[in-house]
Amino acid sequence: MTVTRGEFRNLLKGLAFLSPWLVGFAAFMLLPIVLSLYYSLCDYNLLQGPAFIGTGNYRGLLNDGVFWRSLRVTMLYAAISVPMGLLVSLGVALLLNVRLRAQPIFRTLIFLPSLVPTIASAILWKWMFNQRLGVINRVLSPLLGWLHLPGPPWLDQSKWVVPSLALMSVWSVGNTVIIYLAGLQDVPRELYEAAELDGANPLQRLLNVTLPMISPVIFFNLIMAIIGILQVFDTPFMMTAGGPNRASYFYTYYLYDNAFTYLKMGYASAMAWIQLLLVLALTGIAFWSSKRWVHYQGK
Amino acid sequence: MAGTLEGPLKRFSRFILGVMVVGALYVLIFGPRSEPSLPPGRQGDLVLHYWEKWLGKEAEAMQQIVDDFNNTVGAKKHVYVEMMSMSDIDQKTLVATAGGVPPDIAGLWDPMVVQLGSLGALEPLEDLAKAHGITQGYYRPVFWNGCHFNGHLYALVSTPAAVALIYNTRIFHENAGKLRAAGLDPDRPPQTIDELNRYADVLTEFVTDAQGQRRVRRAGYLPMPPDFDWYVTSMPLWFGNDEWDASARRFTLTDPAVLRAFQWLESFPRKLGKDAVSEFSTSQGGFNSPQNSFIAGTLAMEMQGPWMANYIHILRPSMDHDWAAAPFPSAVPGLKNVTYCPFDALMIPRGCRHVSEAFEFIAFVNQPDEMEKLCTLHCKNSPLTEVSWNFLHHHPNPYIGVFEDLSASPNAHVTMQCPIAQEAGAELTAIVQGVLALELDPKPALERAQVRLQAKYEEFETNLNRRMRQ
Repeated sequence: MTVTRGEFRNLLKGLAFLSPWLVGFAAFMLLPIVLSLYYSLCDYNLLQGPAFIGTGNYRGLLNDGVFWRSLRVTMLYAAISVPMGLLVSLGVALLLNVRLRAQPIFRTLIFLPSLVPTIASAILWKWMFNQRLGVINRVLSPLLGWLHLPGPPWLDQSKWVVPSLALMSVWSVGNTVIIYLAGLQDVPRELYEAAELDGANPLQRLLNVTLPMISPVIFFNLIMAIIGILQVFDTPFMMTAGGPNRASYFYTYYLYDNAFTYLKMGYASAMAWIQLLLVLALTGIAFWSSKRWVHYQGK
Repeated sequence: MAGTLEGPLKRFSRFILGVMVVGALYVLIFGPRSEPSLPPGRQGDLVLHYWEKWLGKEAEAMQQIVDDFNNTVGAKKHVYVEMMSMSDIDQKTLVATAGGVPPDIAGLWDPMVVQLGSLGALEPLEDLAKAHGITQGYYRPVFWNGCHFNGHLYALVSTPAAVALIYNTRIFHENAGKLRAAGLDPDRPPQTIDELNRYADVLTEFVTDAQGQRRVRRAGYLPMPPDFDWYVTSMPLWFGNDEWDASARRFTLTDPAVLRAFQWLESFPRKLGKDAVSEFSTSQGGFNSPQNSFIAGTLAMEMQGPWMANYIHILRPSMDHDWAAAPFPSAVPGLKNVTYCPFDALMIPRGCRHVSEAFEFIAFVNQPDEMEKLCTLHCKNSPLTEVSWNFLHHHPNPYIGVFEDLSASPNAHVTMQCPIAQEAGAELTAIVQGVLALELDPKPALERAQVRLQAKYEEFETNLNRRMRQ
């Protein structure tokens, strides 16, 4: 097969137009990924050249209590935040799918928090979580007073801080809701009509029609949530600085500290690769389990 | 269809190409230049890039010193300093130095002297300092030692501090009867840790809210005031020991003095109730706000630096005459004038192309009149051995003499001079938080930290030795 001069010229033009992305990908993604794998096997502090130490960083991590603690914190957050986020966003999407006159307004209101910059929402929530002055404890005060309980110190006690941050994460489910809404509007009407003819009540229609039909969307949101949750950094960085007593010291936060505060870039690179393997493992489990609960139309 | 679109698509692709070429040319011709626009008459001067962490008023004060340099020594020697204020300066300096394009001067923090110095990332300055007459006798020992690591001078001070006990004299006088009844003198500050505990007990007040919860209305003393946890990990100094033995290169976290300090911290939530302390802390405003617990009058005593005078004056001028400063009391009989002296430092990163010119500026900042001007504007004490009458008597902090005496004391200490001080600081802060929340027992927590940090230090040393062999 020969390439004509015109085809070759078109190929060059195509590559030229792609080049900003190709160069950016190679320089800022591919090269750092490859280098980080090498650095993970080195003692590297950024200021001096990398010195090869084999698996020393990985062995060091296995004996590092803070590494395990940060991993536990992240997993606890994921265990609360992922199911809660998926359930809340699905519930909200189901409500927003109901035909109402003010439907666009509700959709906009639900989506708006996703547009608020993280720093702004962090400051806002820090005040909302304030033990004495925060709106959350103010709202709960009649109930707490009746039970003779003090308002929880949301961000100031180890046992409360991760659930509080998980609760906060639900505030910005707007993007997930939009994806669910698109999936819900794709469910064929005739399936609901057939189910109604068979005498299915609304709950049965939800369980037997809606959920199976949007299961690929749920699966997509699950994968995105797993990937995102394991990289949580900005919110605890701004709201709690990892405290109290490292109770909100997330994996990525410890990675960042190792890289840029303690100047242990090799150690941080090893953490990044373990993080990648974790994401791959959890995503793999999700894909493996998807055979049982994800249904694709036409299959 | 394809045939009909081919023409417009071709034209569109040419248009996009044209836009890209014009854009690239525009950036090349009118885009940003690496050199700043110099004032008239200074064209051709050597431009020094000075990165500084300060923002707002503190940066404006430093800009005055930069302007003084540019108008005097700089004008004579054809050197022009361009100061750039920035956040996250430590990381930016690190990345720029690693990339081989560091600033000529970096305004960083004291723990970075040892951290960056131990990695060979700073220019040694001892010869230049000597040539400018800046030698040991010129500086207070605590700051001179703090600028050194492994026999090299890696920085000079831009502004220093010393921490002391500051106390609300109005609260003392309003509670004079109660203090006297407890055998305490309301006209003077506590002299020992035991006395400080007793003053704090008398001055602490509780209220019971509508839900029947007991709350702290006013705290006599809290080891970690709301939004201010800068120095709490240095507490063992007042109990007779540091957390790092520089000569033995060992952490000393299991030393009885360190343990006593952490047990003392633990005594506050035990006495007041951890929920009451937590609730009190969260209900106060940030450090730089009128709701700052000391400024709002809900905290009677705290450990603070000399700058507090500025904050009080700006945030609550009516309190200007209602406070005083004194050395923070020690727990060890006979151990007087103990203080912790953090400082801001000017350093020259490795790879700087104009080292002697950069030092010219650093030496200028360290001239007595410029240093006193800067420290007055920042409301801090001076790092220099000699201070003028004018400095002491026209300083915005009426108690500046207390801070000067403290920084001159043989019991003044700087941040632990350990290459992994940042990691150790994070570990100790976590322990303090755990102890104050009564989640950690100080003794086992310190024992675990000792093992962990010592192993981290030995790993650092092993890696350093391996590099030196290579």
